[in-house]
Amino acid sequence: MNQAAADSRALDAATSATEGKPRLLRGRSGLLARIALSAVVVSVGLAIVFGVLFLAIITLRDRSVEAAHTQQVIASANRLQTLVIDLETSVRGFVISGNERDLGPWLRAQKQYPTEMEMLLSLTKDNPQQHLRALALRSAIHSYLSTYSRPLVRFIRGNPGLARDVALSNRGRTDVEKIRARFSRFLDTETALSNARQSRARTTAQHALWVGGAGLGASLLLILLGALYLNRAVARPVRLTARAAARIAGGDFSERLRATGPGEVGELERTFNTMVASLERTLADLEERNRTLAESEQVKGELVSNVSHELRTPLASVLGFSALMLDRDLPPHERRRYLEVIRTEAHRLAALLNDLLDLQRVEQEALELRHEAVNLNDLLAAQVTLYSAQSEAHALRFEAAGEPLMIRGDRDRLAQVIGNLLSNGIKYSPEGGEVEVGAGRVGDEVTVWVRDRGLGIPKDHQDRIFTKFFRGDVGRERGIAGTGLGLVLARQIVEAHGGEVGFESEEGAGSTFWFRLPAAAELEAAIPEGSLAAHDDS
Amino acid sequence: MKEMAGFLATVLICDDEPPLRELIRLSLDGEYEFAEAEDGEESLELARRLKPDVVILDMMMPRLNGLEVLSEIRRDDELSDTAVIVLTAQPATREDALREGADAVMVKPFEPGQIAAAVKEVLASKR
Repeated sequence: MNQAAADSRALDAATSATEGKPRLLRGRSGLLARIALSAVVVSVGLAIVFGVLFLAIITLRDRSVEAAHTQQVIASANRLQTLVIDLETSVRGFVISGNERDLGPWLRAQKQYPTEMEMLLSLTKDNPQQHLRALALRSAIHSYLSTYSRPLVRFIRGNPGLARDVALSNRGRTDVEKIRARFSRFLDTETALSNARQSRARTTAQHALWVGGAGLGASLLLILLGALYLNRAVARPVRLTARAAARIAGGDFSERLRATGPGEVGELERTFNTMVASLERTLADLEERNRTLAESEQVKGELVSNVSHELRTPLASVLGFSALMLDRDLPPHERRRYLEVIRTEAHRLAALLNDLLDLQRVEQEALELRHEAVNLNDLLAAQVTLYSAQSEAHALRFEAAGEPLMIRGDRDRLAQVIGNLLSNGIKYSPEGGEVEVGAGRVGDEVTVWVRDRGLGIPKDHQDRIFTKFFRGDVGRERGIAGTGLGLVLARQIVEAHGGEVGFESEEGAGSTFWFRLPAAAELEAAIPEGSLAAHDDS
Repeated sequence: MKEMAGFLATVLICDDEPPLRELIRLSLDGEYEFAEAEDGEESLELARRLKPDVVILDMMMPRLNGLEVLSEIRRDDELSDTAVIVLTAQPATREDALREGADAVMVKPFEPGQIAAAVKEVLASKR
């Protein structure tokens, strides 16, 4: 019952999983979709990580370019300052010595100066404050050259003798000092800028390192999570399924999977469970059938052995006594005795064969029961009359019930049941006496009972008396004839009518056998008793 | 042979069917002294008490079956000389009976002459 319910649940789950498309959206999506989804999640995560890393590297490069730029500016300014110093130093040398050769650096510096100035101006274009300072430097240098340095050189060349006096004036030195102070301010600002930029570049590099490290960690984590998810969603269920399959192969069919896997994996688990349930059922069926078969084989074996015994024993008497009669010269009373034994045993054989055939037909359900209306009162009366004639030592007492006891069934078969019970009552009260027969209706059932005051059935035999060929020890010892099939047959017939058979018995005090059949209520009023009696006679 | 001992040999007939006991008795034709048992327990009890020369033992008996009685007899030292002829309705049980120590096995139905000959034969081989 439970098994069947579980199976049907498993089947329901399997059906809804294949048919219930909307559920796909809620955690039942296909394996491919899930793998694709996890791959996309991992890829997007990696792309973000790489994007951030790329940005960090770009920023780092920009910072480096900036830092390099200030370094260029500083170098250019330094070169310009050196040129200015060269100008002044060279002019002073020339003034002191009057030697044209000392003017070499002055001339070279003048030639180099415009290029260098242009470079500084162009380098500081991105920084308006420094650009203005550079412009101021240019005008200061221009003014130094045009108002002092160049006129001085011209003057010295024109008046070589005056050179020393003029040269001693401090105008040039002051101009150059002023220019140098300008340079110093320019360089200070640029150096401060450079420091700031380098520091920013360092910070950016640090950040880039952090971002890189974090990104690497995040990527590893994402890949790990992806792998874990695939393991949980695919590898683990498959592994568990394989393990369960191994256990099932080992013979443990109670094994079931928790069908919680996603998509195709869940389907696999459910199908697996359904398969195992079906296997378990099939196996149980086979075992049951095997057991039944073994039991029926055993029953058949016992039957054959019993039939053999029950047939050969009377046959031995028939053959033996007839052989004695043929071989020996016997007085007439002996011959008569032998013949009686032969006849009794031959009857026993015939009865046994009849019972066996009846039993076989009942058991194969080939027994076609008629469904006629039967008044048990009439049937009982007829049987009691029939069996009363069989024994003079017994008084069969029957009192018909006050009402007709209508049932539906097979008159001849029911007569056989009543006859078997009556015959048993007579046979198992060998001292003679009363056999009481009664019938009555209780509720929607009709009960018939046969009571004897005979030998009774020992307690240890009571659960075996409906077994084929079982005859109580008492029966055999006292030479009571019987096949051991009468009660078996009676029970089969009553049960085929939807009734039941039972008994109460005490050893030495007698037995009461009864059977109950369903009453035919609707027929009571419909069919008058007279017509049934007439039917009985026909 | 029985004259040699000075008195009749004793045959214990064990069968739950009265006609068969009578048949065996008649078949042996009064040359022996008879005792009869109706079931396995009585058979064993009489065998121990009377120490018969021959026990004719039916396989299918109430209380104790023939094979059980036979094995009890074979285990009893005082009954070591007793010859046992087993009666069976099933030819297939012949081997079982011989293994348990039966001297002869007769399958039902049998002719009166056969059982008489079998009793003579087992008695002859015992002496």
